[in-house]
Amino acid sequence: MFIINCPYCGERDQTEFSSGGEAHIVRPKQPTELSDDEWAEFLFMRKNIKGIQFERWNHSHGCRKWFNVVRDTSNDKIHAVYKMGEKPPVNK
Amino acid sequence: MLNFETTVQDSKSYGDLTLSEVEPILKINLRSNKREFSTKIGKILSIIPPIEANTSSSNEDYSILWLSPDEWLIYSNNKISYEQQNLLEENLFKNISSINQGSVTNVTDHWVMINLKGSKIYDLLSKSSPYDFKNFKMKKGSVAQTLLNHTDVILHNIDDNNLNLFVRRSFSEDLWLWINDSARFL
Repeated sequence: MFIINCPYCGERDQTEFSSGGEAHIVRPKQPTELSDDEWAEFLFMRKNIKGIQFERWNHSHGCRKWFNVVRDTSNDKIHAVYKMGEKPPVNK
Repeated sequence: MLNFETTVQDSKSYGDLTLSEVEPILKINLRSNKREFSTKIGKILSIIPPIEANTSSSNEDYSILWLSPDEWLIYSNNKISYEQQNLLEENLFKNISSINQGSVTNVTDHWVMINLKGSKIYDLLSKSSPYDFKNFKMKKGSVAQTLLNHTDVILHNIDDNNLNLFVRRSFSEDLWLWINDSARFL
């Protein structure tokens, strides 16, 4: 259990949020030109690292907005929170 | 034809704590990210939708609650007739929705409003809410969207130890039973 600082509502308990997986995955511009492997890579393959991870979160029981979180998966420490479309405040 | 029959329709008292469902209350959901939207609402209701998070603005008749940067909930502070509700909804719809300035949705039947009064309301809410009520109870007009017994609720602090709780209709009976059950042990 940890506290997430929603960029719109402020600090709230983790139970109010839902995780949306890895952030900053860019959709290929021409999906029809990709091989099945390349498409599967985009669609399914996600990092699951121990350490600092860039994630999308949704404040589903609050303002219902999406935002990005930089979280250390080993100790759940949140290093940064930033809105959708903004650049990560720490190096990716 | 809207049906204002609700599942709760009750009022209970546990020592200092009073719980009651208030209806019929008009509730309208507003969504917009247009600049002129605020002035339009101001002209119709004489209140400007709040921009600051977790706050509300009120006048004698209506309150506007901040739900998200582009979403608000209007509700009437007093019980109002079906005809009056329709008039206001039509007026808002004509001035906002029909000219693409935002969306106006009547959610009167979507939300059930329960009024909680008494010095122990925050003890009751803290039993099953992950929200920290420290700042909420100090500031009149605060708004919080959170969970109460795993159910989504909107809380509006209208005065010291007096708040309005909005819960979705389908969850209202369940939450009402939980509130009553928990209130017995305060």
